[in-house]
Amino acid sequence: MPEKKYSMWSLKWDEFHKILRDPILLSTIILVAISLLIFIVWPLYDVLKESFLDGKGSLTLEYYFEALSHQENIDVLINTVVLGLFVSFFSTAIGFIFAYVDAYLKIPFKRLFKLIAILPIISPPFALAMSFIMLFGQQGFVSKVLLGIQNSNVYGFRGLAVVQILTFFPIAYLVLAGLLKQIDPSMEEAARNLGASRWQTFRTVLLPLLKPGIANSFLLVFIQTVADFGNPMVIGGNFNTLAAQVYLQAMGNYNLKVGTALATILLSLSILMFVLQKYWLGNKSYVTLTGKPSRIRAMITDKAIIAAIGIPCLLISLFILVLYALIPFGSFVNLWGIDYTFTLRHYEYVWNLGAKPIWDTTELSLISMPITGILGMVIAYLIVRKRFFGRGMIEFVSLLSLAIPGTVIGMGYVLAYNEPPLVLTGTGIIIVLSFVFRSMPVGIRAGVASLQQIDPAIEEAAYDLGASSFKVFHSVTIPLIKSAFFSGLVYSFVRSMTAVSAVIFLVSANVNLLTVAIMSQVDVGRLGVAAAYSTVLIAIVLIVVSILLAILSRMGVSIKSVEG
Amino acid sequence: MAKESASVRIEHLKKVYPGIDGKPVEAVKEVDLRIEPGQFITLLGPSGCGKTTILRMVAGFEIPTAGDIYIGDTRVNSLTPDKRDTAMVFQSYALFPHLNLFDNVAYGLKIKKLPKDEIKRKVDNIMAMVGLEGFGNRAPNQLSGGQQQRVALARALVMEPSVLLFDEPLSNLDAKLRVYMRNEIHKIQRKVGITSIYVTHDQSEAMSLSDKVIIMNAGHVEQIGSPLEVYLTPATEFVADFIGIANILPCRVLENTGSSVTVDVLGIPCTKAVTGSALQVGEEVKIVARPESLGLGREGDIPCKVVSSIFMGESQDYVVAVGDREIKVKVYNPMIHETYHEGEEIFLNLQKDSLHLIPKKA
Repeated sequence: MPEKKYSMWSLKWDEFHKILRDPILLSTIILVAISLLIFIVWPLYDVLKESFLDGKGSLTLEYYFEALSHQENIDVLINTVVLGLFVSFFSTAIGFIFAYVDAYLKIPFKRLFKLIAILPIISPPFALAMSFIMLFGQQGFVSKVLLGIQNSNVYGFRGLAVVQILTFFPIAYLVLAGLLKQIDPSMEEAARNLGASRWQTFRTVLLPLLKPGIANSFLLVFIQTVADFGNPMVIGGNFNTLAAQVYLQAMGNYNLKVGTALATILLSLSILMFVLQKYWLGNKSYVTLTGKPSRIRAMITDKAIIAAIGIPCLLISLFILVLYALIPFGSFVNLWGIDYTFTLRHYEYVWNLGAKPIWDTTELSLISMPITGILGMVIAYLIVRKRFFGRGMIEFVSLLSLAIPGTVIGMGYVLAYNEPPLVLTGTGIIIVLSFVFRSMPVGIRAGVASLQQIDPAIEEAAYDLGASSFKVFHSVTIPLIKSAFFSGLVYSFVRSMTAVSAVIFLVSANVNLLTVAIMSQVDVGRLGVAAAYSTVLIAIVLIVVSILLAILSRMGVSIKSVEG
Repeated sequence: MAKESASVRIEHLKKVYPGIDGKPVEAVKEVDLRIEPGQFITLLGPSGCGKTTILRMVAGFEIPTAGDIYIGDTRVNSLTPDKRDTAMVFQSYALFPHLNLFDNVAYGLKIKKLPKDEIKRKVDNIMAMVGLEGFGNRAPNQLSGGQQQRVALARALVMEPSVLLFDEPLSNLDAKLRVYMRNEIHKIQRKVGITSIYVTHDQSEAMSLSDKVIIMNAGHVEQIGSPLEVYLTPATEFVADFIGIANILPCRVLENTGSSVTVDVLGIPCTKAVTGSALQVGEEVKIVARPESLGLGREGDIPCKVVSSIFMGESQDYVVAVGDREIKVKVYNPMIHETYHEGEEIFLNLQKDSLHLIPKKA
């Protein structure tokens, strides 16, 4: 038979044909691609364009030179990297110890770990910074009342670094605990059986297995730290970071060009880390090779080990709990640091003057919830189940928004939707859009993970029995991944309620948001009001999530804990 | 069943995948098939031979790189799976885990928007046919593998498709159940008379189920024939080796009269009736000798030495050496035959009628 050559393009075109002959599928793909283009790519493009083009529209590096000619901005850049490395290192180390204690030690109250991993998700992203100020600030309970220090300074690198470590180490803990629990105990038993001590086993078996996981959590924390906006704004003081500086340049100094140049630098840093994390480390885990552990691990009961690492972890958890508890506590105290009598006046103030942000935030978060959930599942479905031109791009772009710092995308939204063809500035729509595209990646990841565990033949069977692709999706796919779908919904709501970095650019007289209101109260020193707002926020999150979970458990859906 | 079942025609079918390493993978190379209405045909071959790809192209899950597929008189190349009148039984059963058995079987009928009472009647009928009446409220995970398999079959049958497709449906069952289900499928298919294409790598399934067996290897068809034909008169060495156990012996052509060919098999001249063969005298060809068509004795055609002798219950299995060539011999009902032991010098007897000359490739 004569050997016929097939070009890769024509073969891929063949595969694409499957999509072309299915109009519903094709239009879905086009709609998804267009919405990603408009709401993720375009705003980023506008940030780049603004930073690289001068007033006459020709290419220039002028604004980068301008940005870097100020010592202030150089410092900011160095601060960001140093802080990122410092926080990532300690967060990963502490997260690792927590993970080890969780997976290996027989100690009570381990459920505390789960709780402190969830708290940062359901509270405003700068909650710990507020608590820290309440404890160690000028009017701090510890600094002033207990130690009698006047003019204690909690602002700056030290305060910020500690707050960020306490906020972000749970990410490392969750990643590493997941890996540790997957390691087959018989592997360690094999090492012990071959004569290794517990320490040798740890060093020669566990650590090498976890290396990719450790690198992974380091990068994840780094991305979060660099993108963190709330904590540097609240407790950074004179120690400024890129994410905050972008906002200050653009909105404070009205120097949009320099702001976009800094935003581009920040974006490059985050995307570099994201690409490293996803594509370089992506497939490096050995742990998953071994699959499910064959049996349950015998927990360590050695008192020395428990005292050395178990007890400290419990104490840290308790401390973090106290920090979070300070917020509702502070909201009922007359004047923090001076007069600790009980009062409801902060709530009165909130109710009389500023209830609007509460309703706006809740309403917009509820509106974006179903949109995020459905869009997330559709994209997960397309990524896992379909082969088409641009699939890789859809996957990359939709997960990329995990790595894009909020300040960058917020600025992009301001630039992109301020003028025709799409004017959205000042509307609730722009906020809903930012909620949707910021919280979607987590739903996508959950959807992808659960779809990968479902035999594609089940969907093919439905297709074969005469169901259209739309029918297959809603009568078979969605019911099969409903757990991921609903955790996407819950996560979307929670994340929207607590978002600040992107939306701070988008709030207006018409629409204000809780987190932004809290920050401005902290800024003017009304800690009691800020605490009251925060308490209301956390209460709304807990109420809505409990209602959702109650409805779901009635429907027989269980939700795995929402990941961070 | 009320509907006429359809023929399936496959013409010049070809499927090339973009490979992972950038090299195209030719899964199916130029295949032509014709399946008559009501026929049960099997695509048989080792894994990776392209049989499942053909089945998936008929179902519409894969798009042919070249060639055409007709169901009845309709060219179906451009139809999506939901628009094709085929129903597939999947290897993994692919039952909908979120639906009970009734809703699983009724799924396709509901999509057709049949009236409720008709759906109920049809589903009940078909569940009775596969022996699962009264199971409608169960969830798929409450069933054994064999039961799940029957639901999968019912779900396909209830559609009364013009073509039934089976993708290795029994490979997840244990050996005994496999034989049982094989007979069930055979009975049911004969009853409903729907054109069926069955993919398997298990030759006993292929032999027991099919009107026609299509033996595939590396993307092309090696032979199409009845189970008898592919066993007794394999068209290629691959077929001879793949179906059953075969001794494939090289031999030299001694004479070609135009109506018969005489070859030298291990020194014994054997004459086979072959008309119009192009074989030249002196040419090397291959001959197939099934182990059960050979005999052993204290005297006979060819001296040999017993290399191994194993009692298998229904037979005594030997390996004997003729020179440096090892030959498998199977003697059924060993109780009535003398048993030879390892190292014994005996004789091998050819049953010349049972030998099959592999035709030279054109």
